[in-house]
Amino acid sequence: MMPFKEIVREALKSQAAAKQRTLLALIGIVIGIGSVIALVTVGEMVQLTSEQQFRQMGTNIITIQRGWGDSQGGGGNQDRQDQMITWEEAKGLAKKFPKLEAVAAYTSTWGQPLFADKSLDMPVLGVTRSFAELNKLTLTKGRFISDLDGYSFFGVLGAGAAAKLAKMGAGDPLGKTVFFKGRGFKIVGVLARAEEGGMRPFEINPGMMIPIHTSFLFKKERVINEIMARLAPGMDRQRLTSGLNKYFKMYQPDMSIQVRSAEQLINEMAKQSRLFTLLLGAIGSISLLVGGIGVMNVMLVAVSERRKEIGVRRALGAMQSDIRAQFLVESVILCLAGGLIGIALGVGAAYVLAKVNGWIFFVSGMGLALGVGVSSAIGVFFGYFPARQASRLNPILALRDE
Amino acid sequence: MALIELRGITKTYYIGDMSVDVLRGVDLTVEPGELLAIMGESGGGKSTLMNIIGFLDSPSGGGYQFEGQDAGHLDDNELAHIRNQKIGFIFQQFNLLPRLNALENVMLPLVYRGVPPQQREKVAKQMLKRVGMADRMAHRPPELSGGQQQRVAIARALSGNPSLILADEPTGALDSQVSQEILDIFLELNRENEITTVMVTHDPKVGKQCRRTVRMTDGHLLEV
Ligand SMILES: Nc1ncnc2c1ncn2[C@@H]1O[C@H](COP(=O)(O)OP(=O)(O)OP(=O)(O)O)[C@@H](O)[C@H]1O
Ligand SMILES: [Mg+2]
Repeated sequence: MMPFKEIVREALKSQAAAKQRTLLALIGIVIGIGSVIALVTVGEMVQLTSEQQFRQMGTNIITIQRGWGDSQGGGGNQDRQDQMITWEEAKGLAKKFPKLEAVAAYTSTWGQPLFADKSLDMPVLGVTRSFAELNKLTLTKGRFISDLDGYSFFGVLGAGAAAKLAKMGAGDPLGKTVFFKGRGFKIVGVLARAEEGGMRPFEINPGMMIPIHTSFLFKKERVINEIMARLAPGMDRQRLTSGLNKYFKMYQPDMSIQVRSAEQLINEMAKQSRLFTLLLGAIGSISLLVGGIGVMNVMLVAVSERRKEIGVRRALGAMQSDIRAQFLVESVILCLAGGLIGIALGVGAAYVLAKVNGWIFFVSGMGLALGVGVSSAIGVFFGYFPARQASRLNPILALRDE
Repeated sequence: MALIELRGITKTYYIGDMSVDVLRGVDLTVEPGELLAIMGESGGGKSTLMNIIGFLDSPSGGGYQFEGQDAGHLDDNELAHIRNQKIGFIFQQFNLLPRLNALENVMLPLVYRGVPPQQREKVAKQMLKRVGMADRMAHRPPELSGGQQQRVAIARALSGNPSLILADEPTGALDSQVSQEILDIFLELNRENEITTVMVTHDPKVGKQCRRTVRMTDGHLLEV
């Protein structure tokens, strides 16, 4: 019996004589492994990144929004559009639910504020002081909106908005005036960049925050978009949700609300990301199947081209198992070579995606092991039949081959 | 004790409904140290007989004793083992592996024997020196002449230190001068190292130089 090291050495020598056909077959493996690696890695990066974002804000944050789910169809639906959570309802929450440690209701409007007669496309948020606390916002300059600001015309800029203003020649925006709906807002603070994602409203970075009461001046009613709240530890979420539903129905009998918790979103995201990974993994598997069949074809051709060699080896004392091992190892090496290129490409693609999307770049050892394992397995699986065929050749007929 | 003892060996090939009796009862005894030439017309079954002697094929009937041991009923692995340990094959078409260089080709039987690399290389170099190919060890077969390839093939057959060398028309693909050089190697190996050799040849000049010649006629072997 031939030692394993020898088999590998012989196999490498055969690979050195690789032909174009071999390289073509490898493309399938490269793409297959590459996509599996990229997809698995992307899935894991997304999960890691979003989880980290949630963790920065804490998992005990909930948001309360008007419910969208159970529409009553047709006209009823139209009516429901008008059912908004009101400021009075929001204000009463903290007293009614002492387990809510902090409550921040906010309004959100898109507008074209003007600066130096130039229009800025940015969201405007009406907020209270607790908004900064719940979203863990930090200032680079000035102060945040205070609850004493009442109906005053002060604005705090998100990091993105401040940068936009700076580009328009504002220099230090502190103390400058931004016009919105015909009113001048004096900028009193600038926020540091807040991580995006999770429960944090996406409007923070590109937007301007103004006192919530001031924002009501531009609305017909004192209605708010969303309430954020932080739960005291050990809070029963189910009970809280039904309590909240009852609370809002007290004010508007056919009002339904939607409560989302960070924890629940994390779980959902993990589930989704797993699904994503599985789905994309399936796509990769199809390329792998195609690649594997290509490798099988290459190996079958190799066997028929090397009948004479097989005959000679058998005459010199190779057992069937030696011949089988030889072709099996060749097939595995072939697939591993493709797999390694695929891993490099997949990791590269994941890196680019991470940079572009601002995800945390991260390659799990499991992903790499999966790549190596899968390519070896493909080599064994698709190489087995040709290898068996090679080993079963009649040595005399094989020798007689020209 | 005879090295080879064939008694009533038959071989029948079946092609569809047709059967061809190629060997019809071959008796042959080869003593250690003999140099035997098998001659006979083309298609007479010489290669078939060589394959049976060399454990590449099994007979349809008859008895085969090798080194006093009954060689019937061996399974595929046992046959491979005997080929590896006891037999050195030399072919008309040399049958070197084109991707391996001369040294690697000569080492091959030892690879299947599990001999460690250094020792393998030492033996292979000795054998190549012995057939006058010491200066061509790194050459691959396509870079060698026919005569040189056959020398490498002889070195390969010798590297396993076999009990028996089987050469099926070893000079069949070579011109007469080179044929004589190759034959001289066989004669010398047989004379000086008493290596038992069975050789198939069509060339009467080659046959004449062997100590014993047999002729394949009608599926039987006759002493000449
Ligand atoms: N696998 C096989 N199946 C069927 N017939 C075969 C097979 N192998 C050999 N034969 C037949 O057996 C006969 C003997 O063949 P063999 O090769 O032994 O002859 P040979 O004496 O070596 O001839 P040559 O001198 O031309 O090499 C031929 O008629 C051949 O067609
Ligand atoms: Mg023949």
